[in-house]
Amino acid sequence: MIRKGLAGGSYQPLTEESIAKIDQTVMAVIEEVGFEVNSEAALRLFEQAGARVDREELRVRLPQAKARELIGMAPPEVKLCGQEEKHDVLLGGNRVYAGTGGTALYIYEPGTKQKRSATLEDLKRIARLVNRLDNIHLFMLPTYPNELPIEQVDVNRFFAGLDNTTKHIMGGVYTLDGVKQVLRMAEMAAGSAEKLRQRPLISMIGCSISPLKMDANYGDLVVEIAQRGIPLVCPAEPLCGATSPVTLAGNLVIQTADSLMGVMLTQIVKPGTPVIFGSVATNTDLRTLNYLAGSVEMGLLNAAGAQMAQFYHLPFYATGGMTDSKVLDAQSGYESAMSNLLCALAGANFIHDAAGMMEFALTACYEKFVIDNEILGMVMRAVAGIKVNDDTLAFDLIREVGPGGNFVAAKHTRRFMRREHYQPTLSDRNSREEWEAKGGKAIWQKAGEKARRLIAERKYQLPAAVRQRILLEVTGIVD
Amino acid sequence: MTEDIISLIRENVIQGRVTQDDEGLDEGMVGQPGVTELTEKALAMGIDIRDIINKGLTEGMNLVGQKFELKEFYIPDMLASAEAVGAAMDLLKPHLDQSGIKPKGKVLLATVKGDLHDIGKNIVSILLRGAGYTVKDLGHDMEPQSIVNAVRVENPQFLGLSALLTSTMVNMRDTIQALEESGLRDKVKVIIGGAPVSEGYAKSIGADGYGSDGFQALAVIESLTST
Repeated sequence: MIRKGLAGGSYQPLTEESIAKIDQTVMAVIEEVGFEVNSEAALRLFEQAGARVDREELRVRLPQAKARELIGMAPPEVKLCGQEEKHDVLLGGNRVYAGTGGTALYIYEPGTKQKRSATLEDLKRIARLVNRLDNIHLFMLPTYPNELPIEQVDVNRFFAGLDNTTKHIMGGVYTLDGVKQVLRMAEMAAGSAEKLRQRPLISMIGCSISPLKMDANYGDLVVEIAQRGIPLVCPAEPLCGATSPVTLAGNLVIQTADSLMGVMLTQIVKPGTPVIFGSVATNTDLRTLNYLAGSVEMGLLNAAGAQMAQFYHLPFYATGGMTDSKVLDAQSGYESAMSNLLCALAGANFIHDAAGMMEFALTACYEKFVIDNEILGMVMRAVAGIKVNDDTLAFDLIREVGPGGNFVAAKHTRRFMRREHYQPTLSDRNSREEWEAKGGKAIWQKAGEKARRLIAERKYQLPAAVRQRILLEVTGIVD
Repeated sequence: MTEDIISLIRENVIQGRVTQDDEGLDEGMVGQPGVTELTEKALAMGIDIRDIINKGLTEGMNLVGQKFELKEFYIPDMLASAEAVGAAMDLLKPHLDQSGIKPKGKVLLATVKGDLHDIGKNIVSILLRGAGYTVKDLGHDMEPQSIVNAVRVENPQFLGLSALLTSTMVNMRDTIQALEESGLRDKVKVIIGGAPVSEGYAKSIGADGYGSDGFQALAVIESLTST
C-alpha cells in the first residue's frame, strides 16, 4: 500500500497569533528593508510592477499592499507530473509528499566507510533505484556529476533523470544555456512545449541568497523559467545566527521574505506562473559555522514553514530527512526520522532531501535511500493517523469474540491488517535466532543488498524515438 | 469441468473463503461459492475424493505456505485458509473409507492446569484441522487426570499440551507422569508448546516433540505421523 498526498497538519508549532506576527514582520521587511537584486532583468521587472527601486544600492522595496497582491496571484496548487500518471502529485493545501534532494558531491560507501566523488553513472543508478522505492514520490536530482564541465551538467543531469525514472524530476540548474537545453529536451519528452506546460515532467529551483539578496545568475534564471511556465521552486536558506537572526522566529522572517521575493518575481513575469514557496531553513553550529542538516531545529523551522505556506495559500517545498552523520549509524537514523516526521505531520507538501542525504548534504548514499524509504513509509503512516468509525471500533466483533477469545482468526483482522498497519520493507522483526540464522546483518547491509537488486532488476528508458531525437538534437549528452 | 471445480477449490483455499459469505483477499468475492459449497458440489458430481484433497485442498494449502514464506501472507491469512480446508475435510470425512484414503489421525489439545491462555493452542487446532487431522480440543486449565481420562476415551495418536506461564509449565510434566501411571503413555505421542518451553524442556519432561509455533507443531506432528 503506497501512502502519498495524505493530509498532514496535526502538528502546528506556530499558533495563529504567531503566524500573524511573523507575517507582519515579513511585510515590514519587504517594505522598509527591501531586497538587493543583482539581476538587471529582475530589477527592471520589479520597477515596472511598482516597486521602489534604489538603482545605486540595487535595492527593491515593495509596499505591503503590492506585495500581498503579487503573492495572491500565485496559484494555490501546483501539479508536478511524472512520465507515468500514477506518479503525478498535486502540491498545495496540507497534502504531504516526499522526495529526494540535492545536490551532493560525494557518494558514501558503507563497506569501506569512505566517500568518493559522485559521477554521472551514480546519478543514473540512483534514478533507477528511486524509481523502485515507493515511499519516495518525487525525484529531485540528488548528485553532481563531477567529471563533467559545467556547460554539460544541466543537460546530463536532467537526461539521467528522464531516462531512468518515470517519477517527476526536479533539479537545481547551473547555466542559462543549460536551462534552455533542458527545456527543449523536456518538451521532446512531453511531446511539445504546450504539452510540457500541461504536464510538467520537470521543474526547477532558483535559490535566493539569504539574507534578502538575489544574485544576477539566479535572477536571470528565475525570469527565464517563469516565462516558460515551468514550475519553479523559490527556496531560501537562512541559517540561524549566520544568515538570519539566531532565533527561530527571526529565521522564519528571513526565510519567508526571501522565498516570497522569488514568488513575487515570477508573478510579475507572468501572473499565475506555477511557483512553489520553499524553505531550506536550518541552523549552524556556532562553534564552527558548519551548516547543519540533522538538527531538530531544522525540523521545527520547516514544519513552521509549512504553516506559513498554508497561511499564504502557496504550495510548499520543505527540507527534512537528512543527517550530519558521516556513517550509517544511530545518529543517521534518528536525525533523518525526526525532521521528516515533523515536516510531514505539519502538512509540508513536498519534503525534499527526505531520502539519501548525509554529512551536511554533501554526500549521498545508495543504502540510505533504501533506509529512508522505510522511514518515509512509517512517517506517512503517522500522517494517515487513526481512523475511528463503527468498523474500526469493532464493537460487534468484540461482542462476538468475548472475554478470553482471540482476534487472530477473525475476518475483521484480515480485512484491516494490511491497511491499518505499516508493512516494513526493510526493518528486521525476526527473533534473534532467525536473525542470526539469516546472517545477523545490520540494516545498512540489508539496504545495500536491496539497492543492488533493485538497480539490476529493471531499467526504465525513454521511448526509443524520443530518446534518439534528444540524443540527436541536444548536444553534450553523454549516453 | 472437474478441473474447473478443483482449481476453484484451490483458489478459494488461497483466498481463505470457507463459505460464499466470506470476503477473501481480492475484491468482489462475496456471494461466489466458497470452499464448502465447492466441495459439496464436487462430491455431488462424483469427483474423485483423492483429487479434491490432493489437487484442490492440499495443493492450495501448499501455495498458501509459499506465500507465507515470501512474507506475502500473514498468520490470519494462513488461518483462514486452514479453516477453509478444515471445513472441507469435515464434509469429506464420511466418504474417506470408501475411497480408500486413510484418515490422518486424531489429536487431543489442552492448555494445562492453572493456565487460561489458549490463543496459541487454538491456532494449532486450526492449522491441524487444515492439514486433515481430526482435532479434539479439551480447552484450558485442564487437570492432569482429566486429560488422562480424555486420552483413554478418545484414543488419539497425539496429545498436544500448551502453557504460557513459567508457573504452569511444570503441569506438563505432571500430566505426562499421570499418563505413565495410568499405563497410557505408550499409546499416545505427546507434543508440547508455549512461550516458556523449549526443545530442551520437552526432552527433560519426557515429551516426544516440541513446536516453537503453530507451523512447527504441525511439522513435528507430520514427521511423527510418518515414522
